[in-house]
Amino acid sequence: MKTARVSKEAEAAWLEPLPPVEFERRLALALAELDGEELENLSSLIGWFQRRYPTPKERLAYARRRYEGWVRAADYAARIK
Amino acid sequence: MQATGPEEDELFAALARSGARVLLIGRQAMIVLGVPVMTSDYDLWVHIDDIDRLNAAVDPIGLVPNRTSAEARQRGRYVLENDLHVDVMVARAATTKDTDEKVGFDDVWARRQSLSYAPGVDVAVPTLDDLIRTKRWALRQKDISDIQLLEALRRTRTEGQ
Repeated sequence: MKTARVSKEAEAAWLEPLPPVEFERRLALALAELDGEELENLSSLIGWFQRRYPTPKERLAYARRRYEGWVRAADYAARIK
Repeated sequence: MQATGPEEDELFAALARSGARVLLIGRQAMIVLGVPVMTSDYDLWVHIDDIDRLNAAVDPIGLVPNRTSAEARQRGRYVLENDLHVDVMVARAATTKDTDEKVGFDDVWARRQSLSYAPGVDVAVPTLDDLIRTKRWALRQKDISDIQLLEALRRTRTEGQ
C-alpha cells in the first residue's frame, strides 16, 4: 500500500514539536475559535459523520477510503507536475 | 501503511482475543469516537506487562515486533509491522509536556470505553478527556488541530444532552 507524500516543509510544520509556550498560545487560539462559528461548522461535520457512519467499523472504513483517495490524488498531482 | 478492510478486521479481532490490556489511541481512536480525520497510522498503548500477550495474538496475522519485549520496555515503544505499521507505546505513564500532567496507563485503562467493532470484537479507547491528554504529549501543530476537534466533539455531546 502507498502512503501519501507531502512536502518536507508541510510535514515539518505539522509534526515538529513546538516549544510549550508556543503550543499553548496556538492551542488557546484554536479553542477560542470554538466560541464562534467554527464550533457550528465542526459540530455539523461531526454530526454528519456520526449519523452517516454510526459504528466504529464504518467510521474506520470511511477514513480508509478517504485516505486512499487522497494518496491517489497526491500521486496524480506529482505525476503531472 | 493503510490497512485493507480485512486486515483491519483481523487486527481488531486479534487485539480483542489477546487478553492484553491495550488501548487504541491517536487518530484512529478519534475516528472511532466519531471525528472524521485522515490517518494511515495505528497507535496502540499496551500495558507494560502485556507485550508478549499482544505479540502472540498478532503473530498469526503476520505482524512482527521490531524489538524484543525487553527492548520495548526499555525504550517505551516498538512497532508491529507487515504491510501494516502499528506504533505501540509501552510506558507505564507519560507526562504532558505543556502542563506537566502525568497520564498513567492504569488510570486511563480503568476509565476506558469499550466500543463494539464487530460481533464479539470490542475495541478499547480512552475517554475523551484522556485522549485529549495524550494529545499534549508531543506538542505538535497536528495535536492542536486534533484537540480542537475533540473539544468540538465534547461540546457537541454536551449540547446534545
